[in-house]
Amino acid sequence: MSSSVHIAGVGVISAIGKNVTEHLSSFENGKAGMGEITLLDTIHKGKLPVAEVKLSNGELIAITGLPPQTSRTALLSLVAAREALQDAAIPNFESLRTGFVSANTVGGMDKSEDFFVDFLANNNRGKLRNVFDHECGSKTEIVADQLGITDYMTTISTACSSSANAIFYAARLIKNDLLDVVIAGGTDALTKFTLNGFNTLMILDKEFCKPFDEHREGLNLGEGSGYLVLVSEKVARTLSKPVYCKLSGYNNSNDAYHQTASSPDGTGSYLAMKGALDKSGLKPSDIDYINLHGTGTPNNDSAEGAAVKRLFDPHYPPMSSTKSYTGHTLGASGSIEAVFSVLAIKNGIIYPNLRFETQMSELPFKPETKFIKGRQLNHVMSNSFGFGGNCTSLIFSRA
Amino acid sequence: MLAENHIISSCVIEGGDVFKNGRLLFQNKSADLTGFLLSIYQHFQLNYPKYYKMDNLSKLGWLASEVLLMDNYQKDQYQPEEVGIVLANRNSSLDNDIKYFESAKEIASPSLFVYTLPNIVIGEICIRNNFKGEHGFYIQETFDADFVIVQVNYLLDNNILKACICGWVDVLDQYYKAALFLVEKRQTDSSVPFSAKNINNIFETN
Repeated sequence: MSSSVHIAGVGVISAIGKNVTEHLSSFENGKAGMGEITLLDTIHKGKLPVAEVKLSNGELIAITGLPPQTSRTALLSLVAAREALQDAAIPNFESLRTGFVSANTVGGMDKSEDFFVDFLANNNRGKLRNVFDHECGSKTEIVADQLGITDYMTTISTACSSSANAIFYAARLIKNDLLDVVIAGGTDALTKFTLNGFNTLMILDKEFCKPFDEHREGLNLGEGSGYLVLVSEKVARTLSKPVYCKLSGYNNSNDAYHQTASSPDGTGSYLAMKGALDKSGLKPSDIDYINLHGTGTPNNDSAEGAAVKRLFDPHYPPMSSTKSYTGHTLGASGSIEAVFSVLAIKNGIIYPNLRFETQMSELPFKPETKFIKGRQLNHVMSNSFGFGGNCTSLIFSRA
Repeated sequence: MLAENHIISSCVIEGGDVFKNGRLLFQNKSADLTGFLLSIYQHFQLNYPKYYKMDNLSKLGWLASEVLLMDNYQKDQYQPEEVGIVLANRNSSLDNDIKYFESAKEIASPSLFVYTLPNIVIGEICIRNNFKGEHGFYIQETFDADFVIVQVNYLLDNNILKACICGWVDVLDQYYKAALFLVEKRQTDSSVPFSAKNINNIFETN
């Protein structure tokens, strides 16, 4: 039953690209996705930078073919999930036991915000179709229908580790022989709700974020979606091209420290990384690259840094936060960065941590700042740590 | 037939009174809610600095849980995953939501914002006692004993939990009421059967 779980396809959309190819090009050219707010209608326009997907809802509707009232969360999801499924090109897909495990945190909040503008002014007004798909699970159902997945679908919402947990859960569905193929990942669109919420927590940087820098001041919110196609060993053997890699380790651990903040010593992060290593049977020195959670908030980076130090000292692998490109895409970040980690193994890439200047005083290491290509990477760790101390680490290994 | 579950202890905080297992342990009729809650904290000589950061809903629920577990709960009796919490109330986190909403007119307060969910009170009790079992928070018009019993019996009878704190914690401005029950599978000399009649009787103590 303990068959390994293989990654057969990947798809991603974020502020730095509409597909995998555009992402690789943006990484290589050091092109970050943050900028002034252009699409989101908010009072913070011109004040707070965000990393928007540079496509209007109208353009996304044209690309996806979904109905005009569809939430941006589902629109982004379908773009990336479709790319992943096409990339995997699984023979006889219809005959297999298939699943869709999708994470998000905002659901249809973007449309609900539109509804409430009219509704609050006059309780007899407001279009109910704008709140009909408010809940997170609706997004999963819309996209699963489009992908033709009917055997199994579920939605996971655990803040910023949501989509890493979706991948983790999908792997268990395959390992326990419940499904043959799972498209797993997550999606989140920018909304007033999240921008105002993070602004209230005073953890947004008014400039472009500087993860793991001594003078980091907060995160930039982003949006996007990323999916992996996970397949069993049996399905992997039927593919016409080699798989990207295996998912060899995963763990979820909780700080139980504060509603939003991590414990200062990064207990949850440490346990997640350690647990994932144990699961994969690897030692810290086997890890060739860490895609850090690295939000750029003082709290996350010092807690994550302390945990990395505790586990890896004195031999640190190259590491970086790709949130310096995409911003923090919340529920989508775990799977977007899982896609990056898979691509890192496939293409031998270590991504640069943009805008890094000064090493954090309490840490004996600093993130990688250059784009490195053509390096043999056998094992890559991807960290996703969420509010409430919900910490997940994934490890991808060369197949 | 399933085995009966038992109320090991109860705590009701209402109208300036603190009852434990039906016995009045403390009374302070003269303070406003915040002052009353602080007087409970001081009376029982509790020492938990995080108390001062909590909103009134969490303070009330946390204090009730402290009194509930006092002398009736052995810390090492169960694994963290074997103890859970099922709570309900009428006003969700509205008391703190309104305070947050007012603060947002000037500078939105992060410390108020993090309490704008009713289930945070469950988190505070879990963190204090290292409980890691299942938990749920329900918003209901009135205390629904039958509903609580169905939820808690399900968790205990299916061996999902071995002990469950359940009940009602509600705050809105100066109105407040907490009624918590520690329910376990085991019987003790002073326990009473976990029935709708018994929890309604305790709930209506005053």
